[in-house]
Amino acid sequence: MSLSTNTGSVGTPLLPPKGVSARVLGGIAEDATLSAPGVFLIILAFILPIGQMLLLSIEGASGGLTTEHFTRFLGDSYYLGIVWRTLRLSLLITVIAAVIGFPLAYVMAHVGPRLRLWLIILVILPLMTSVVVRTFGWMVLLGRGGLIPFTLWKLGLVNRNFTLMQTESAIVIGMVQVLLPFMTLSVLGVVMKIDRRLEEAARTMGASFTATLRTVVLPLAMPGIVAGSLLVFTLSVSSFITPSLLGGVRLPVVAGSIYEAATKTLEWNFAAAQSVILLVGVFLVLLPYLKLTGRRHG
Amino acid sequence: MTSTASPDASPAVSLAGIEKTFGRTKVLHGISLDIPKGTFLSLLGPSGCGKTTLLRIVAGLESATVGQVTIAGRDVTQLPPEDRDIAMMFQSYALMPHMNVRENVRFPLRMRRRGSRDAQEARVAAALETVQLGHLAERMPRQLSGGQQQRVALARAIVSDPAVLLLDEPLSNLDARLREDMQVELIELHRRLGLTTIFVTHDQEEALSLSDHVVLMNAGRIEEQGPPLAIYEAAGSRFAASFIGSANVIPVAVETVGGATMAQLPDGSRLAVEAPVAQGANHLALRQEDLMLGPDDTARSEARSFAAVVETRVFLGARVRYVLKVGDLSLKALAEPGRLYQAGDRVIVTIPPGKARLVA
Ligand SMILES: Nc1ncnc2c1ncn2[C@@H]1O[C@H](COP(=O)(O)OP(=O)(O)O)[C@@H](O)[C@H]1O
Ligand SMILES: [Mg+2]
Repeated sequence: MSLSTNTGSVGTPLLPPKGVSARVLGGIAEDATLSAPGVFLIILAFILPIGQMLLLSIEGASGGLTTEHFTRFLGDSYYLGIVWRTLRLSLLITVIAAVIGFPLAYVMAHVGPRLRLWLIILVILPLMTSVVVRTFGWMVLLGRGGLIPFTLWKLGLVNRNFTLMQTESAIVIGMVQVLLPFMTLSVLGVVMKIDRRLEEAARTMGASFTATLRTVVLPLAMPGIVAGSLLVFTLSVSSFITPSLLGGVRLPVVAGSIYEAATKTLEWNFAAAQSVILLVGVFLVLLPYLKLTGRRHG
Repeated sequence: MTSTASPDASPAVSLAGIEKTFGRTKVLHGISLDIPKGTFLSLLGPSGCGKTTLLRIVAGLESATVGQVTIAGRDVTQLPPEDRDIAMMFQSYALMPHMNVRENVRFPLRMRRRGSRDAQEARVAAALETVQLGHLAERMPRQLSGGQQQRVALARAIVSDPAVLLLDEPLSNLDARLREDMQVELIELHRRLGLTTIFVTHDQEEALSLSDHVVLMNAGRIEEQGPPLAIYEAAGSRFAASFIGSANVIPVAVETVGGATMAQLPDGSRLAVEAPVAQGANHLALRQEDLMLGPDDTARSEARSFAAVVETRVFLGARVRYVLKVGDLSLKALAEPGRLYQAGDRVIVTIPPGKARLVA
């Protein structure tokens, strides 16, 4: 697992696992032969680094096994605060992305194909700009005297020195912008497949537009919302560039702290321990989600 | 309209001058129709004539460009579907895939807030019993056969006791056997519940067999309407004659010989036609089952027979369909399989009295 995922690049988005057994081919031997390159790649790119990381995380300074890196992290309220902030902000980002992404995807599914194409381009536009350019844009908008604080000041809501930079709000705003496409497109794919006559049928049975959204569209779009949430949550937990540029040094997140330990203070074992903790934390949060999807498909 | 409704009862559904334009194409040209309470009315017409559009306008899923829709005495032209007292059954059934059968059938009651939860469940159970699906209440729609899904859709449509029940070709996805069963069931259901029903179909037999009143549509207009028998016996236009009863429609020259009206076929033979003859009627309508075939040596009755040659024979089971040639003209005949003719046989076609009609 790459410890420092740059949210600006979409190398390998985490997709929900697909059943590998879709086709029934000649025999087990044939299956094994065909899947060998894939299995090999997974071992090389995934299992090996994680194994390596697990080993590093329990390796003592003098070579023996130790849990000191874990106790150092878990015993320090500073680090626990970082974990709490990371999970809290990631959940908030995921919820906001879902709250914006679902209606957006619904509208996109219901407009004509030409307009839909333009909307898709518009939605994925943030992914096409580099993280530096994008973040700089937010600095201009959110900083002292920037468009948003200036407007709020003019409206008499805040004082003149107000800034949104170096706040958790800035992190959330910047992250939602770049992660929204993952949510929107995940939901769009599912909403597009909902039979339009189901909505019409609901209307003829006395359901208002909003009641139809609530009782028909939302439940049927749930797999897309779950998949989108998984993407957004994992990407935001593991991102550090946007949070560190918009939030600053006073608001560190776990991925940033790992980056710090691995590249600045060169404490590889400590970085590995933090990574393991992050991995476990993400897994614990995702567990209910995975159960949910498992039940839906099962 | 013909019906048993008392004169003072307001119609269940009333359409006044409905027009509909999609972009630049006008698909409905001023439809006016009063449907008395309790009527089973069929909207019959070829594909693309605007039946579905008209039904969707009644439901409120489509808005009329011009005209007024009244349901149970209330002008609903501007109201969204959920505020109209209707139920609609879709051709694809449109069952909610994430709800089981019971939840599907309860949906209209839940959305319309009809009664307590217990009262709703009781009505759901009764509706499912009506369509003999009580034992499948906990199944999901995808676990049901097509015919069972259809029954669920029907139960869901009748459960809220709507002012009008809208059915858009509900039987067209079923195989022939199931279709006949469902037709019988629909008739019985209508007799029992007395729901005002608008039934859309392109199948003339279905329309004639199910309904109290048939409205024949063509290219966005009402071509003819009336009770099934009247429509069948006395189709007044070329379109009606050929669509209902799949009659042969032949251009003829009309002449009056000594008080009797005669139609001259393209090959020169003459047939006596029924009086009165409408103004401008210059086509002869001969229903397929009214062509009586006899062997070449049959005694020809004056002004009732003509000679023809068998071109094709199609065995349909209970009936046999022949394509006959009279000169250049092709005629279809539906005969009992008592005596079979071969392609190339010469036959004498006799039209029973009262069956040769002129149409405009
Ligand atoms: N939403 C629509 N936009 C444009 N044209 C439509 C639309 N719906 C129906 N039409 C056209 O209106 C005509 C009538 O359609 P429809 O009511 O579905 O006919 P029917 O149900 O009798 O087969 C057809 O020519 C169809 O192409
Ligand atoms: Mg139709």
